[in-house]
Amino acid sequence: MLIEETLKRIQSQKGVQGIIIVNSEGIPIKTTLDNSSTVQYAGLIHQLVMKARSTVRDIDPQNDLTFLRVRSKKNEIMIAPDKDYFLIVIQNPSD
Amino acid sequence: MSINIPDVQGKRDAMKELVTEDMLKEVIEVYISETDSISLLDIPSTFVSVDAHDAEAIIERNNQYAEVCRNRMGNDKYVDRSMQTLNGEAKNKQVQSDSIVMVDTAATVTAWDMYDTYISPEQDETVCVPQAERADYPEVAVDTSRGAEKNMSVGSSTSSVASSLKEQEALGNGLNAESELQLIMLSEKFQHLLLVTERSILGNVFQPKLAAYRELPILEGKLISINVMIVSDSDIPMKPGTVEQREDTESPRPPAVECLWAFSCELSRGRSVSSMAWNKKYPDLLAVGYGELDSSNQKPGLVCCWSHKNPTWPERVIYCDSAVTSLDFSFNNPSQLAVGMQDGSLVIYNVQSRNQLCVVSSSECTNKHLAPVWQIRWTQQDLSLTGEEKLEALYTVAADGKICKWFICNNGLDCIELMKLKKIHNTKKKAGGNKTEKKTESVLSALSPGLCFDFHPRDSSIYLVGTWEGLIHKCSSSNSQQFLETYRKHFCPVNCIIWCPLIPDVFLSCSSDWTIQLWKQDHLNPVLGFSSTQKAVCDIKWSPKCATVFGAVNEGQLEIWDLNSSILDPVIVQPAAPGVKMTSLLFATQTDCVLVGDSDGQVTVYQLKNLTNICESGAKVINVTLANRHNTTFFLS
Repeated sequence: MLIEETLKRIQSQKGVQGIIIVNSEGIPIKTTLDNSSTVQYAGLIHQLVMKARSTVRDIDPQNDLTFLRVRSKKNEIMIAPDKDYFLIVIQNPSD
Repeated sequence: MSINIPDVQGKRDAMKELVTEDMLKEVIEVYISETDSISLLDIPSTFVSVDAHDAEAIIERNNQYAEVCRNRMGNDKYVDRSMQTLNGEAKNKQVQSDSIVMVDTAATVTAWDMYDTYISPEQDETVCVPQAERADYPEVAVDTSRGAEKNMSVGSSTSSVASSLKEQEALGNGLNAESELQLIMLSEKFQHLLLVTERSILGNVFQPKLAAYRELPILEGKLISINVMIVSDSDIPMKPGTVEQREDTESPRPPAVECLWAFSCELSRGRSVSSMAWNKKYPDLLAVGYGELDSSNQKPGLVCCWSHKNPTWPERVIYCDSAVTSLDFSFNNPSQLAVGMQDGSLVIYNVQSRNQLCVVSSSECTNKHLAPVWQIRWTQQDLSLTGEEKLEALYTVAADGKICKWFICNNGLDCIELMKLKKIHNTKKKAGGNKTEKKTESVLSALSPGLCFDFHPRDSSIYLVGTWEGLIHKCSSSNSQQFLETYRKHFCPVNCIIWCPLIPDVFLSCSSDWTIQLWKQDHLNPVLGFSSTQKAVCDIKWSPKCATVFGAVNEGQLEIWDLNSSILDPVIVQPAAPGVKMTSLLFATQTDCVLVGDSDGQVTVYQLKNLTNICESGAKVINVTLANRHNTTFFLS
């Protein structure tokens, strides 16, 4: 299936450390990382996404958050949110 | 008689004492005295001066009142009457109720919350459907919500208790998670999100290369997002890391190509690139056709549309019935891609939608090509009379010797023959002017296969055709019987002909006889000839920016020629990877890059560096060379 293939391709890209899919309540439903990291990421990023989305929508209610990238020293966290779930990808581009 | 004065009642109750027998026998003396007068109502008279305004009215009223008082005695109007009210017993009643449980509720209202509520009646239907699915697991859902709250309330939650609880719940919700996952995976929005994520990841991976492609300064050693464009100066303020200067600093470095990246994926590996074309509207969208050109390896063809946003997977993949030999994008409908194939069929695809739509195919056309379509071209014809919309026509040249003009009718393609490439007798040769051809009387087809063609950039009714025999014919679309001119020089199939976009009336041709020839339109002999290796030259293209630069690809290497620097040798030579043959070439329209397709299915992007950019003297070079040729009969070929 197309989505499965795309997920596999993303996972095999250079530097990708993990992919997590989290549902709207903050529970991870699919992950390629170990359990404790997954839970940690899911919980923390859930709050961040809520805040970011609320910020964007407060400024203009017709607007909505489409993508969020957090660049840090060691890696980059890319978050693609949707109404019922969001997708987290952690990449370390200098690998 | 006891006077019941209510406000004194409290006092009497407080003074009750025990009554003994002795006290009862005692003689008690009771003294009765008169209380003070209690004044219940006292309204003093009002005094009004006799000189006041309403004195007369008041006197009148007073008189009236006095008269009323006089008449009071014995008057029937007034009767004395007394009343007594009974005061009932007071009864105490008590009521007790359960304590009302108070719950504090708070809600944060945000601007978008209100907006959503107003919009929600339309979206209720869509929301209901996933809700129904989730009703199967009510208890589990409650547990998870409580679990989430717990996690939130702990705050920055790295406490092991909370996280272990969550772990259990995460593991225990296997069933629920599966169904949710399935739902999510099927949604189209998720696909779009994955696409965007993949592009972001690849943007990170390929960032230096893509920055070089766009001619942005490259900062080494730091991760910079593509969207940040930093204009570099020689004194960079705070960023550590070196900056690669684009212009030469002190000594001019020799021209070279640098390999940036290669478009390749597992689908295309092993197939040979047969043709490439840029989209006319979006100059970053590249269509690549794959097909084995030697008939021994007949694999069905493939067309991939690549974008620089994702060099590892094409944006669109189209499977074709037979090997693809040529393709071109349309001008007027930029999403239409015309593909010519080895079995002679011509299909137009629409690449805009994800589920690829084959717009129209030529399979039902009666006089379609029966041999491989070697080249396809959309051409805009200028109509000076009518307005802006230029008419567009699709032309093909095929190995059965016909040049056809196609148009769409009745959901199919139909064509009219523009020209038949008749074989010309070899011995006859005239210089200039129109020739009359004689059909050879052989039993085999009298048409010679056409391999390539190109329309004049300014006059779209004139075009050049290269044939299998090495002849180049100049034809007009209004004259379908005769060639206007024939240029003879090559003795092997002419693989590619291309007009120079910047210098008028100059074109290049390349052929399997190892040479490249430069022609001027009205001269029947080539102005210049180039050869560097003993290999068939497969493809040749002019640089869109610089009039004296062109690129050529033969099987073993990529050559960039610059007529300004040297007409004997190519300025840049890039050999192919061992075991791989380069098959096609394309210049990038907006940057100094060339794309080379090879027989392994890879399209490599090379950046041209350090080519001198003197472009104005292109025409002069040609003219000077032409003049020289007239003076000396020195042939370079």
